[in-house]
Amino acid sequence: MYAGARLLGAAAVGLALMSGQATANPYAEFAGQTVVANFPAHPHYDAVMRVLPQFTEETGIKVEVDQLQYLAMREKQTLELTKNKGDYDLIGYVVFSKADYVFADQIEPLARFFMDPKLSDPSYDPEDLIDGYVQNIGFAGGKKGYLPGPTGGLFGIPFGSETSILAYRTDIFEKHGLEVPETYEQMLDLACKIPELEPGMGGVASRGQSGHQTSHAFLLHLAPLGGRVLDDQFKPIVNNAEGVAAGEALKTILDCGPEGATSFGFAEAKNAFLQGDTAMFLDSTIVAGEVNDPEKSQIVGNVGFAPHPMGTRKGSQTGGFGIAIPKNAQNKEAAFLLMQWLTSKHGDKLIALEGGNPSRFSTHADADVNAKFPHMATFGEALKDADPDWRPIIPPWGKINSELGTTLNKAMTGDMSVQEALDIVAERTEAIMDDAGYYTWQQ
Amino acid sequence: MSFNANRLTPYAFLAPALAVMGMALLYPIGYMIYASFLDWNPSQRIGEADWVGLKNYVNLLNDPNFRESFSVTLIFASIVVSLELVLGVGLALLLDRKLRGMTVLRTVFILPMMIAPIVVGLMWRYMYHPSVGIFNKTLNSLGFDSIPWLSSPDWALTSVIIADVWQWTPFIFILALAALQTLPQSVMEASRIDGASGWQQIVFIKLPLMMPVLIIAGLLRLIDAFKVLEVILVMTNGGPGLSTEILSLRISRTASEFRELGVAAAMSNFLLILLLFITVAMFIVNKSMERREQRLREAAVDTSEDFH
Repeated sequence: MYAGARLLGAAAVGLALMSGQATANPYAEFAGQTVVANFPAHPHYDAVMRVLPQFTEETGIKVEVDQLQYLAMREKQTLELTKNKGDYDLIGYVVFSKADYVFADQIEPLARFFMDPKLSDPSYDPEDLIDGYVQNIGFAGGKKGYLPGPTGGLFGIPFGSETSILAYRTDIFEKHGLEVPETYEQMLDLACKIPELEPGMGGVASRGQSGHQTSHAFLLHLAPLGGRVLDDQFKPIVNNAEGVAAGEALKTILDCGPEGATSFGFAEAKNAFLQGDTAMFLDSTIVAGEVNDPEKSQIVGNVGFAPHPMGTRKGSQTGGFGIAIPKNAQNKEAAFLLMQWLTSKHGDKLIALEGGNPSRFSTHADADVNAKFPHMATFGEALKDADPDWRPIIPPWGKINSELGTTLNKAMTGDMSVQEALDIVAERTEAIMDDAGYYTWQQ
Repeated sequence: MSFNANRLTPYAFLAPALAVMGMALLYPIGYMIYASFLDWNPSQRIGEADWVGLKNYVNLLNDPNFRESFSVTLIFASIVVSLELVLGVGLALLLDRKLRGMTVLRTVFILPMMIAPIVVGLMWRYMYHPSVGIFNKTLNSLGFDSIPWLSSPDWALTSVIIADVWQWTPFIFILALAALQTLPQSVMEASRIDGASGWQQIVFIKLPLMMPVLIIAGLLRLIDAFKVLEVILVMTNGGPGLSTEILSLRISRTASEFRELGVAAAMSNFLLILLLFITVAMFIVNKSMERREQRLREAAVDTSEDFH
């Protein structure tokens, strides 16, 4: 009798000890599961692909990735998210889609995952995440509906985000004794001086093609020069004095830029700089990855980086991608663990060393990362001024963006003045916003 | 009993084809017509979209951007088809003779038609590049200014037209050449005996005899020209401004950029109606030609009878 009880007691203690050891590894419960991810074909995510095998090694969770060009990815996701049971557990979404997915209630609010003690890592340090990115890409429901605020919640974590930076030719600047511009006045001045100092060379490489490209280029200058597209009541103010100043700045840049600048998409503008046709480049940080690649760049070793110049304020763009968990996913907890690992200090550093875009301030300041990519420290400083509200993230934005880009392009080619173009845009924007119901509470 | 079965068998044989056509053609079109009466965002399922009746159609007719897009499409299609007809027929008339290496020449001439439209678009985009493209480089080396092929609203449509004419003239050329080679030699000989010059032969004999084929070819090209998308998408993406935004491009943008599937469906219906109109016109022309030939044949038989 007693022997039996002792055996039972020993077995119970053994069982308790065993389960105690099992809970010491947070990934054990999910080891062997497969997380299916949908990522865009983008240099950052290519770096992520090289790091994923290490995640599987450390946790035992397998990851299957479906990589698509980002516009095709967006269309596919839109359809996938309407299904009852989705195929994807983790999606990389274009920042723009935050408006659509949250509004249609298709991605999981992350609060309950962070509240779960079995899933949430206490050493995650969310304050280290770059807050301009978190606000722009992750939060929704707060101020103006798309920014953080007391009514907002977190729906995604920034991953593969980019800001705008000024890249310049150190050799050209040294040759003519030029100072790196810190304000818009200085940059615009230099932009038109360079074609005189170096015949055949443009000042600043910029996007200029009609439509989305012109709109993006215009918005890059709008925030630093103190303008906004919509005010807090959603009325368009893009045609005020600051807006016109931004339009004029873009026109100056395109006029003093390389030939055919008004037909350049992002790739042409980037290549104009990389092939040595211009002395400066003001656009996404993604250029940093190609500048020292001899297969793509003719200017290896002659490039320096500086923060986006200041107008009346500092405000570089925030954009890129974020990762979120669809509501119709099959393996949400495992997906959350993957998301947490990829954006943790450990994961972020590994991805940065492979050439990806870090999402944390600490990674930008890290010694190993800077040894491999010396521009990271400058980027980290620049990111402190990243502006989450540089463009509105609302469902009617696609239409407004298109109007802005096509009409403003006519001002860039000289068919009408900047003020005229912006007035037309403001009028059409008001009609679009009214149609979408944004003035329902204002009588 | 067997009498009935005999009458029904043809329909029984047609039934599977009709079923497939119903599923593959009528259902999608019906779906699209239904969707055009909805205010439908791609993030919603079709059942969740609101019914708005004819609002999409009315808004489109009042939308200056849609009207500009429609007129660009009409201008593009008419210029492209006219140029292709003139050039294609001209080439066919020139090459309708026994030259050495005729087969090789003919193969070379139809090559543009066989290249995928996306590749054509990319090729021409690189050729039109403002600084390293071959056109501006040649112009500069000859001492002329560069032309803003794709960056000026005035030039962009011309550049796109040139690319399309380059690709599809061979289509007209092949059909016209085939038509020329089936022309009765007796008519040619008779006209030569009567003293007709080469030019008179072409205008009064060859062209009228080729007319049926040319009209069909022209109408086919017209229908295709209204549906062009890839070449213009790759070369200008509708820009600068809206100067090259043809209807298919506008539909694609409305669906993916503006996320308004109901409006895109309404635009597609406008395009479908226009193309249906042209197809019906083609059938009527064809029918009237057949009737004309029938009458001519009967008249010929009558006159020959008169001589007996």
